[in-house]
Amino acid sequence: MSAVRAELRKLLGLPTAWVGLLLGLLAAPALVILNAGATRRAIADGIVSDVSDLGLQNLGIGVLGAMILGVVTVSSEYTATGEDSPGARQLTTTLTAVPRRTRLLAAKAAALSLVVAVQGTLTAIATLALTRQMHGTAVPSPEPVRVVAAVLYWTMIGLLAYAITLIARNGIITLTLLIVNSAVVSFSYLLTKVTPLAAYLPDIVGAHMFLRGIDVPVRITPVTAGVVMTAWVAGLLAVAGYLFHRRDA
Amino acid sequence: MISIDQVSKHKGRARILHEVSFEARPGRVTGFLGPNGAGKTSTLRVLLGLDRPRSGTALIDGRPYAAWNRPLTVAGALLDGSGAHRARTARAHLRWVAASNGLPRTRVEEVLDLVGLTADAGKRAGKFSLGMSRRLGLATALLGDPPVLVLDEPVNGLDPAGIRWMRTFLRDSADQGRTVLLSSHLMGELAEIADDVVIIDRGRVVARGTLDEVTGGHPTLEDAFLALTAAGQPW
Repeated sequence: MSAVRAELRKLLGLPTAWVGLLLGLLAAPALVILNAGATRRAIADGIVSDVSDLGLQNLGIGVLGAMILGVVTVSSEYTATGEDSPGARQLTTTLTAVPRRTRLLAAKAAALSLVVAVQGTLTAIATLALTRQMHGTAVPSPEPVRVVAAVLYWTMIGLLAYAITLIARNGIITLTLLIVNSAVVSFSYLLTKVTPLAAYLPDIVGAHMFLRGIDVPVRITPVTAGVVMTAWVAGLLAVAGYLFHRRDA
Repeated sequence: MISIDQVSKHKGRARILHEVSFEARPGRVTGFLGPNGAGKTSTLRVLLGLDRPRSGTALIDGRPYAAWNRPLTVAGALLDGSGAHRARTARAHLRWVAASNGLPRTRVEEVLDLVGLTADAGKRAGKFSLGMSRRLGLATALLGDPPVLVLDEPVNGLDPAGIRWMRTFLRDSADQGRTVLLSSHLMGELAEIADDVVIIDRGRVVARGTLDEVTGGHPTLEDAFLALTAAGQPW
C-alpha cells in the first residue's frame, strides 16, 4: 500500500500529469459543444447508424488524457534530473526505495488505473450530461453498462500507454505515435481496409466495448472486444515486466 | 556490514567487473578507490540491486538489498545527481520517498534541516546547483536513518565548506557505528577519512586492507594508487 501511495503522490506531483488530467477531463465535453450543430444535422438526415452512440462517441478524444498519464507515469522516471549529471534519473531513487520490480510495476499500474478511472468516470458523466442538455431525448442515454465499459476502455488505454512506454523507455516517441494514431491518422483503421484482422488491434477493438455503429468489416460483440482488449493489455504488460526485470536500471 | 563476493558483470561483450570481492564493516569508513571507468559505480549499482551481476553476490547485513522490506531503513544511497525529477520541489521529492517506505513526514523536515536545505525546500530540483543537488541526494539517503551508507563520489560538486561538512558527517556516522562505503577517484580526500581502502582497476580489486596496509611502503596513498593501477601510465 505504501508503494501505491508513493506512486500516486509522484504522479499527481508532475505538471505534465496535470496536462493529461485536464485535457482528458475537458476535451470530450468541449467536443460535445463544438459538434452540437453537426450532430443535430446528422440526426435529422438519418445518417447516424446508432443514435445511442452519440453521447459516448465524443469520449474518444479524451482518451488522449489517459494516454498522456500512462506515458508520463514511466517517462518521468527516465528523464535526466539535470544538466550536471546527464545519466542521473529519478528511476534510481525509485528503485532504491522500492527495489522489488514486480511490486513497483504493480504499484505504478494501480496508481495510474485509479487516477485514469476517476478521470474517465468524471468525463463520461460530464459528457453524457452535456449531451442530454444539448440534444434532449434525440440522443438516448446509453445503458449504464456501456458507460462502465467506456470507463474500462479508458483505463485500459492508460495501461496500454504505460506498458508501451516501459518497453520503449522513451515518452516522446510513444506519445507521438499514440497521439498521431488516435487523433490524426488512425493507422489501425487504415489497416482494416487491408485486412479485417486489423479490427482486433487494441484501439479499434477497444472501442467496440461501448460503441455499436463502428464501420469495420467484422462484427465484434462488446464482450469479445473486452476480452481481446484485456489480452492486449495483459500481453504488453507481461512483455514490459519481463524487460524491466532483465534490464539494468 | 556490506559483503561483496566474487561479483562479475559484463556489458555487451566487455567484462566490466571481474570477481570483485571486499567487505565494508560497521564503525568504519571504507574508501572505494579507482580511476574513472574502473568499475566503482557498477559495483555500487550491483550492491543496490540496480544492475544485475552475471555471477557473485552482494549483500547488506546478510541479504541482498532488494530482499529487505523498507530498504531505506537498512541502507541509504547517494548516486549521481539529486535523484529527483526536475519539476518536483525538494520537499515533494522527499515526501514521496518517505511515503514509499512508510516513514513519517516529520522525518522529511529533519533531513532537510540536517543537510541545510530547509530554506530551499520549496524550490524545484531542476533549479538546484550541483552542490544543492548532492545535498538533496544525501537527504534522500538519510530519510530512513539507515545503519549503512553507500555513497558514489559524494564530494563531487561540493564547495570547500561542503567538502569539510561531508567529511565530518561521514566520520561521525562511522563513529556512531554505521557502515560507510564511499567511492572516489580523489586520493587526497580519501586518505583524510578512510579507515579501510579497496582499490579497483579495470574491473579487478588490486588492493584492499586498512589505509596503512594499502599505503604500505609507499610515501602516500596516491603513490600506492598510481603504482597499483594503470593510472600510473597515463599514455
